[in-house]
Amino acid sequence: MSSEETESKGIKRRDFLKVVGGGVAVAASIGCESDRVEKLIPYLVSPDNTVPGVSTYYATTCRGCAAACGLIAETRDGRTTKLEGNPDHPVNRGALCATGQAELQALYNPDRYRSPMIRKNGKLVAAKWDEALKLFSQKLGETRSRGGAANAVFINQHESGSFPAFLDQWLTDFGMPAHISYDAGVDTEAIAAHTAAYGVAWPRFDFNATQLVISFGADFLDGWGPSVPQQLDWSDARAKLVGAPRLVFVGARRSLTGLNADTWIDCKPGTEVSVARALSGEMSVAAAAQACGVDATRLQAVVDEYKAAKPALVLAGGHVAGAAQLLAAASALNHSNGAMGTAIRPDQALLGYEGIAAPAQLRAAVARMNSGAVSLLMVRGANPAYSMPKSTGFAQAMLKVPFKVSFSSIMDDTSELCDLILPDHHSLEQWGDAEPVRGTLSLQQPTMDPVFDSLATSDVLIRIAKGDPATAAKYAMPDYQSWLLARVPGGSAGMAAALPKGIVAGSALARTAARPALPAIAQVPDIATTSGDLYLYVYHHPVLRDGRGANKPWLQELPDPVTKLTWQTVVEMHPLTARKMGLDNSDLVVVTTSAGKLVAPVYLYLGIRQDTVAIAAGRGHVNAGRYAKAGENAFDLVPLAENAAGGIALVNTRATVVKAGGSMLLATTEGSARQHLRDIARAIPVAELNGGAAHKEEPEEEHFQGDASHEFLPGLRSPVATDAQGDFGDPTSKDKGMYDPNHWSNMAKRRWAMTIDLARCTGCAACVTACYAENNIPTVGADWQAAQILPDRTGFGANITRSREMAWIRLERYYEGGEDGSADFETRFIPMMCQHCGNAPCEPVCPVYATYHAPDGLNVQVYNRCVGTRYCSNNCPYKVRYFNWFGYGEPHRPQYAFPEPLNWQLNPDVTVRGKGVMEKCSMCVQRIRGAEHRAKLEDRPLRPDEFTTACAEACPSRAITFGDAADESWSVTRLIKDERAYHVFEELNTFTAVVYLKKVNHPSPAAEPANA
Amino acid sequence: MNVFTKPSVSLAFNYDSRMALRRKWLTVSGFIAIAAAATMLSAFSGASTSQGFSPVQPVRFPHPLHVQTLKMNCLYCHFSANKSPDPGMPAVATCMGCHALVATNKPEIKKLAAYWNKKQPVPWVRMHKVPEYVHFPHMSHVNAGVSCQTCHGPVQNMNQVYQYSSLNMGWCVSCHIGQSNPPFKARYDCAACHY
Repeated sequence: MSSEETESKGIKRRDFLKVVGGGVAVAASIGCESDRVEKLIPYLVSPDNTVPGVSTYYATTCRGCAAACGLIAETRDGRTTKLEGNPDHPVNRGALCATGQAELQALYNPDRYRSPMIRKNGKLVAAKWDEALKLFSQKLGETRSRGGAANAVFINQHESGSFPAFLDQWLTDFGMPAHISYDAGVDTEAIAAHTAAYGVAWPRFDFNATQLVISFGADFLDGWGPSVPQQLDWSDARAKLVGAPRLVFVGARRSLTGLNADTWIDCKPGTEVSVARALSGEMSVAAAAQACGVDATRLQAVVDEYKAAKPALVLAGGHVAGAAQLLAAASALNHSNGAMGTAIRPDQALLGYEGIAAPAQLRAAVARMNSGAVSLLMVRGANPAYSMPKSTGFAQAMLKVPFKVSFSSIMDDTSELCDLILPDHHSLEQWGDAEPVRGTLSLQQPTMDPVFDSLATSDVLIRIAKGDPATAAKYAMPDYQSWLLARVPGGSAGMAAALPKGIVAGSALARTAARPALPAIAQVPDIATTSGDLYLYVYHHPVLRDGRGANKPWLQELPDPVTKLTWQTVVEMHPLTARKMGLDNSDLVVVTTSAGKLVAPVYLYLGIRQDTVAIAAGRGHVNAGRYAKAGENAFDLVPLAENAAGGIALVNTRATVVKAGGSMLLATTEGSARQHLRDIARAIPVAELNGGAAHKEEPEEEHFQGDASHEFLPGLRSPVATDAQGDFGDPTSKDKGMYDPNHWSNMAKRRWAMTIDLARCTGCAACVTACYAENNIPTVGADWQAAQILPDRTGFGANITRSREMAWIRLERYYEGGEDGSADFETRFIPMMCQHCGNAPCEPVCPVYATYHAPDGLNVQVYNRCVGTRYCSNNCPYKVRYFNWFGYGEPHRPQYAFPEPLNWQLNPDVTVRGKGVMEKCSMCVQRIRGAEHRAKLEDRPLRPDEFTTACAEACPSRAITFGDAADESWSVTRLIKDERAYHVFEELNTFTAVVYLKKVNHPSPAAEPANA
Repeated sequence: MNVFTKPSVSLAFNYDSRMALRRKWLTVSGFIAIAAAATMLSAFSGASTSQGFSPVQPVRFPHPLHVQTLKMNCLYCHFSANKSPDPGMPAVATCMGCHALVATNKPEIKKLAAYWNKKQPVPWVRMHKVPEYVHFPHMSHVNAGVSCQTCHGPVQNMNQVYQYSSLNMGWCVSCHIGQSNPPFKARYDCAACHY
């Protein structure tokens, strides 16, 4: 009892030591056990010209769309980790769109076929190549012996280069007709119209040579043709500021190009041609305005402006009903107004768009398949079972073909219906060529060894031909690479010399095999006579395109540049229409057409006519892997209708829209579409520009050290950082440590900074994907990544509905005007990322000093110090800090964002963040350190503009400039002094390192006298 | 039995003894909890050290023979230490460059040759590893004149290599702020290594 009494007074020192000692022992033993034994695996034989840990850069060609842009693939230790534009390439000149960058996620897609597959007892099972090739060979033989060869169908995803001609040759050798070069993502009608009017499928549009651009639904900045070169040219033209071309957009729905337009003529779908006729004078403005349902005064202003502007460029998109007349009218306008030869340059045509088969060809094949004539169907790359609207019956017709072969490298809706899968290499794993502009070959080379047990289709064809005595002699080359080498000028030596630049003078092998004539067109019904309450405007999603991007989580999570929605299919509706129907954001509606129906939530969008609803196609695949299931398939709603050139008229019907009851939270990354007087995205009318003169300091303003609006002082720093640094933390010390510009480390001599020119930015969001790729940012929207505890927050995009997206850079989109629902509103895009404040609100609130100001001006986040209080995020006025709510970077967790082999893409220079850690834009600190290390290694100082951040590198409008603001020789310092320069929330004294240049507004000439 | 009818005295006594007991065991378990938390933190933060770790390698590679007797330079095998963040492990072909002819009858060389003949790399056991959130560029250190031995110890004397330094952050920083012998100076900003 007594001993108990003594002990009860508290713990004895000896007990304490025992307990603590035990704890230390446990700590020590766990400490040792936690050292997982890792292996250091050397090469067996070191490859030449590579150094472990140092990147190698390969020039190759992008196959994301028909344009065939040039790529530089960064490859480290045998794995390609980043795609960037090739600066020497004539098409994309160093820039790259989001779709192109996401080709990496096709390369490392977890839903790729890992080996050949053969359908046995109704199921696709893995097979060996020998067995699969034997089966293919045997079926080819059977088809030929039964006389079915002439009716075999080969559908190839359209690509520029020599392979199509090689394939045709092979098909001819086996007695089969030429292949169908299919690309659902292009505007077939526009190509036909361009060919008829300008002689080429896709001329280069030189916006610099025009004063006025009128786009009839042609989204030339985002998906209509080669967006990267068009964006480059457009931004260069707009960067002139004074004398830059104005943009008028005519269409029922404002696309990204529509939002960039200075004037929107919101005409009824299918009546665009009336506007074109008003421009040409064939129709009176009053009659045209009546037909289109637009305000006659607004239309009159455009017509007047068009008549005064020479040259003016008229572009027209062909997905609307009645496109043939519209495109013919547009071509006539261009011929009459001087655009031909100046703004339209057929001599600089983009040849990637030549030779694309019309979807009508596929529909003709459907008829043959249905009749039972086709005994062998081969598909490579294309996914017509998804991208041909259900009303064409492609998938059903496929089932009537006895033997179907797919060469798809990734599981998709078409390949899953096939009987034999011979997976192709991804384009980053195989040889090839393209002729993007006349006389220039863009070379395609493997940037790494194949991820899976795949085989290039070209090599499959050669192997099959070798096995056939009739063709063996003709196919004596060992493989496609050697065949290609023989074609390149100078042979293998010429190839070796050309590969570093990726381009060489030459031309691709031309297709000569006879191609089938255009079948009879399934006519478009008059849209006005279709049944329904609202016009249905179906369009290709800007980054998922015809659905090819849906299996890439980067693209699914990339907010649509216009709607800011991710992972979901929504019905875009005008707010006034919704109010009339008693609907609001996220209410579910049923959209019914003669072809089918779809249930999706409503999204209120100002940029759409009140009598129209719009739905983006590209989501809702049935069988294209784990990511592509997200959303609904808008193609299901499209009744069968073709335009004159055989292109699918996506806008050809009205639809019945009724409230379904219930709602579905919108997976949007948008906070508010309005600035609420915060002046985040600013604009200046072109008339008020000072002619580019430097910003004049206003004398009454107080000037004090570190006032970032006027200068970027070397070593600009927050008071907290200075205090903490002096003498290693002694606040009374006069020693400023590394924050002293004269410190030996020279760190404080620099101030890393960035300018973003809003007059150039189009809002395309290529920078966002570039940032995801560079900085190992996890995608969080897949359905299995959501916590399954809230019944209304499950499924794809659930985490986004809780604002858990991790995008370090986001594109904010603000509307000005149009509060009353009118079409006369302005849109401003502004990329928003960590502003690297000189006096950062996030820094003093961090209890563990995990975020602090580096002497070179960066606001640094130290992941290993962060304990996840999130105080910094609460205190950030820009809301650019993102928290890892789950272990997105931890392979053993269900929310892991990089299922094998997607994790092969991770940038080895950037830490993959764990659960409970805050993260944000680092201004690509790994690139800064990398450049510093490289300069040191070469014993030289950093060169001005030597490197840049991932977002700036990709930007197809060249809006972002990065550099050292404390060194006059970097170009960023010149831009900071521009008269349009401003800091967001300058009044908070955050002294940001990101400087925005105001957007420049070009008001209609008709409106100008009123303003003056 | 109804507890509420118990005499108050008895209740007071029980209360005291119970509190005493509870205080003791709370304290003990509190310390255990703190110790466990510290353990977990240290284990997961990578702050624990494997200093002295000396695993048996699949092929016994005697550094003294190669470095002291044969006078081979470190960079002969660790070929990228002066040009890459990664020091480079010699390719098996590098080993076989000599050992196709030299000492072919020794048991360890037979093991090496067996790997070579099977076209398999030697699965060396990794010893020196900084956590994933630390970026350690070898070339910057080597070119600044930091000898290999400064961090890796007298490898030239190690018949079986062991981890000489703690590789903890304090150890890194002491050198970066000039407190090493011989003294070096380098940036000690967090983002010099952590990003």
